[in-house]
Amino acid sequence: MRKGIRAIGVCGVLALTMSNLAGPAMAAAAPTERYLHVKVDNASKGESVNVNLPLSMAAAILPTVNKGSLHNGHVTIGEADFNGVDVRAILDAIRNAPDNEFVTVKEKDQDVRVAKSNGNLIVHVLDKTKDGEKVDVTVPMKVVDALFSTTKDNELDVAAAIRALSDAGDAVLVTVQDATEHVRIWIDSHSSSE
Amino acid sequence: MVLLGKVALGIAGTAIAGIGLICSEGMIEVNVVEKQPEAHHVYVLAPAMLVPIATHFIPSSKLGHASAEIKPWMPTIRAALEQLRAVEDVTLVEVREPGQHVVVAKSGGSVVVDVTDKDDVVHVSAPIRAIESTVEQVAATSAETQD
Repeated sequence: MRKGIRAIGVCGVLALTMSNLAGPAMAAAAPTERYLHVKVDNASKGESVNVNLPLSMAAAILPTVNKGSLHNGHVTIGEADFNGVDVRAILDAIRNAPDNEFVTVKEKDQDVRVAKSNGNLIVHVLDKTKDGEKVDVTVPMKVVDALFSTTKDNELDVAAAIRALSDAGDAVLVTVQDATEHVRIWIDSHSSSE
Repeated sequence: MVLLGKVALGIAGTAIAGIGLICSEGMIEVNVVEKQPEAHHVYVLAPAMLVPIATHFIPSSKLGHASAEIKPWMPTIRAALEQLRAVEDVTLVEVREPGQHVVVAKSGGSVVVDVTDKDDVVHVSAPIRAIESTVEQVAATSAETQD
């Protein structure tokens, strides 16, 4: 009887030791989850919306959606939306070019700037008429490449772009600021937007 | 006497195993508190496993429309729930506006919805496994109806 109790005790200690050893090892092996955060603050109305979406979830869901122009993670875009512009050729040119400011438009009511910097495609838009609305978009070139990685000219591979975003570092993708509202879309490894 | 003891032990064991089985999918919790002077308080804590079982007894004619609507989205729902189960606890959506606060979160294997407004405080928690089973049950009802 004593031997039996001793054997159970030894097994228990072994199991505890194994679980203590295996726990950190498994935690270290598990890839860090990445989150897409969307935060909208409207100071004048006292409203705020926070969305925290695990990218693995977005990547798993997107290919299953077949509705409208979204099929198997691809978005079909009409020819008219490209206005006859060869976007892939432009992206090739941008990819191979050194960091630079490619487009600068300064008008009475709007400033637009498109640039490439540190592997990111950057778009700044300042609307001087509408409450001074300011839009900043920063997209890693890898994500843009993934987006246009489909064989069809009129498709965007959103699922591939999401996967590329998962591999990209922490980044603020979009900020929109006007007199009352602030929108921020970013990616990091934190499950909360604080 | 020994025989009676064994029978009692058997009954108790079966009861405990039954309770364990019923509670194996977790519990669904609904808590509604009204803030008005004649405040009502509704609190329901039910084994999640009962929901898909209860769904089985709903006439398929009543579920026909819902199941037809849900069926095309089953691959998406399955993928979403599977991933939701895999990710760590996270606040998926939080909306704050004057007098109202809504939170949808994944917490400990459950989807939790908390709504606080000027009239009520509502808390609903449902295990993801139970949601999965219920949705599958509803979709299956559709298939049976159409066959």
